[in-house]
Amino acid sequence: MEQIRILLVDDEEHIRLLFKEELEEEGYSIGLASNGFEALEMLKVGEFDLVVLDIKMPGMDGIQTLNEIKKVNKEQRVILCSAYGEFKQDFSSWVSDAYVVKSADMRELKDTIKNVLGV
Amino acid sequence: MNFANTLGKVIDISHSNLEIASRINAILNIVSGDLLFEEVLVYTLDKDRRLSCRFMNRSSRLFDLLNDYRSHVGEGVVGTVAQKRSPLFFTSRDVPPRLGCLFYAGLDDVLPRYRVFAFLPLADDSFLYGVLLAGSSSKEAISSDEKVVLSILSRELGGILRTYDLLLSSKKQITELATLSELGRILTSTMEPHAILENIALITAKTLNAWFATIKLDLAFIRFDGQRFTSGTIASPMEGQVLDLENEALRLGQPVFRTDARIGEGSSAPPLFLFAVPIVAKDRILGTITLCLKQEEQRDIADDQGDRYLVNMIANYISSGLENVLLTIKLRDALRELGDAQRRLIENEKMRSLGEMMANIAHEIKNPLVVIGGFTKRLAKTARLDENEGRYVDIITKEVARLESILNEILNYVKEAPLLFELCDINNLLDEILYLLASDKTWAHIKITKEYDAHLPFALCDVQQIKQVFINILMNSFEAMRGKGTITVGTEQTTSEEKPFLAVSIKDSGGGISPAVMDNIFNPFFTTKEKGIGLGLAISNKIVTHHGGDIEVKNKPGEGALFVVYLPSQSRTTKEG
Repeated sequence: MEQIRILLVDDEEHIRLLFKEELEEEGYSIGLASNGFEALEMLKVGEFDLVVLDIKMPGMDGIQTLNEIKKVNKEQRVILCSAYGEFKQDFSSWVSDAYVVKSADMRELKDTIKNVLGV
Repeated sequence: MNFANTLGKVIDISHSNLEIASRINAILNIVSGDLLFEEVLVYTLDKDRRLSCRFMNRSSRLFDLLNDYRSHVGEGVVGTVAQKRSPLFFTSRDVPPRLGCLFYAGLDDVLPRYRVFAFLPLADDSFLYGVLLAGSSSKEAISSDEKVVLSILSRELGGILRTYDLLLSSKKQITELATLSELGRILTSTMEPHAILENIALITAKTLNAWFATIKLDLAFIRFDGQRFTSGTIASPMEGQVLDLENEALRLGQPVFRTDARIGEGSSAPPLFLFAVPIVAKDRILGTITLCLKQEEQRDIADDQGDRYLVNMIANYISSGLENVLLTIKLRDALRELGDAQRRLIENEKMRSLGEMMANIAHEIKNPLVVIGGFTKRLAKTARLDENEGRYVDIITKEVARLESILNEILNYVKEAPLLFELCDINNLLDEILYLLASDKTWAHIKITKEYDAHLPFALCDVQQIKQVFINILMNSFEAMRGKGTITVGTEQTTSEEKPFLAVSIKDSGGGISPAVMDNIFNPFFTTKEKGIGLGLAISNKIVTHHGGDIEVKNKPGEGALFVVYLPSQSRTTKEG
């Protein structure tokens, strides 16, 4: 069975490391990008089943990146994962498949990933 | 008879430093003694152009009789001389009875005693100052030399009277100037406005020797501690008369007076003179200044001269200064209001920038916190820890979770979320919330009373947010009652500024809110709870405000608190239609 590939986009190195280790433990294959541009480049060259996208990032923020991703591939599944809870109610975040508030407790993120992927 | 000697004495006295009245009296005595006139009298011209007998020689008997009546210019012999400004001489044969004036009834018996009379005008080239009357019982006739001497004397007396007039008017002018300069000093002083007004009343009363002087401001546009400033005492029976007169002066915009003011009904005291003058600034009447004068001053003031002129002048003089004073008060009020508004603005601005700053800080903290918490959990999972180490890691994990929830609340508070409006049946929403809450076993001892308006219109609102508001308030009530008591939830229709609102009231029996807490109840990060960081009601308030509504807290100390949430309502047919 082929491994599920997830692209993690976050400008914070340690967050990337934490999420990578946690999600790899779950059996996913993880790609990393530290900003929106990088993420878009990586999506051009490789296929990912899911993008986990931070919102507040320098340069191109998560919402912009989300729009760019969906422009290229409407079917690309994206989970927004941000420290800000209130973006959940922002219309522009609705384009994403789910919204998770960043937390040290990774259960919500893991559950949401499973839901979105339908596994 | 040595006329030169007589004239010499007269001129000496006339040029002496004696009091004016003493000079005149001395001259009259010399004329009486040297020229053998038993009667030598001087009439002077009053301000009202009537002649009164003012001065006499020592032996005069006619003075008292003649002093009874003040004749007009042109009336009787004295009046004729004054009018024509030429002397008249009579003998007892041709003198008119009562000297031509019917009011001198007392003269009938005494006049025949005198054999000659001389009447001479006291005047200079331009003005008449009075009339000299000389009468003798010992002379057969008045010689032409005597007539010349009398004519020279009358010129001299005229000169003295003119000096007297000038002196009086200059004294008056000095008083006026002193008064005005004093008023000017006060108006430009740094005194408090009410002290300025009190001082103006005091100076006016003092200058005019009034019973009282009262300034009444007639200004709706100004907030001022008191509208009347009085020097002296307004006797209570006079208050009504003063008010009437003030109103009349305001209405007519010109001075008005009454001469029959009395301290009381049937009082034996003489009537007083009341005089009210409007204080007119550029384009409006600021108020009135009213004086009460004693009877003896009445004559002058009623005759549109002298003191009355001075009161008018004072009123005119103080008007512009007073307007400045009043504008100062207005300015001070405006400044205070501006200051208040500015403080509120700064307060809001502070809250806003504080909020933004906190959001940034919270966000910056959140990421490292997630990293700390996340790796701690990994450590707990992968490392082999003894019992203590395990406990420590557990504590770190729990504290991180607590910090995270605080940061979440802060981030939720400070960022304004857009509202998702939909029509909502508030009664249903409340039922749903109450069902959820009451199904928790901690709510077992809470009695819930519902007082719904069955015809409540819909509210257009973000249901999730409004739900949060009601849950926040209900949880507050629950905690205030420590899990036991009654919560009454009611709905009704109301209006505010003619717009339809619905009101949701939530009343608890939790003993109420202390006043200190009351003031801070909607302040973020204010809490009375051991757990919790005080954002619940602040967020609720913010949500309701975003909806164009309002939250009202009514406190019933000892009983409980009442929260009323007002939301704009829609007509009931909107959803169905």
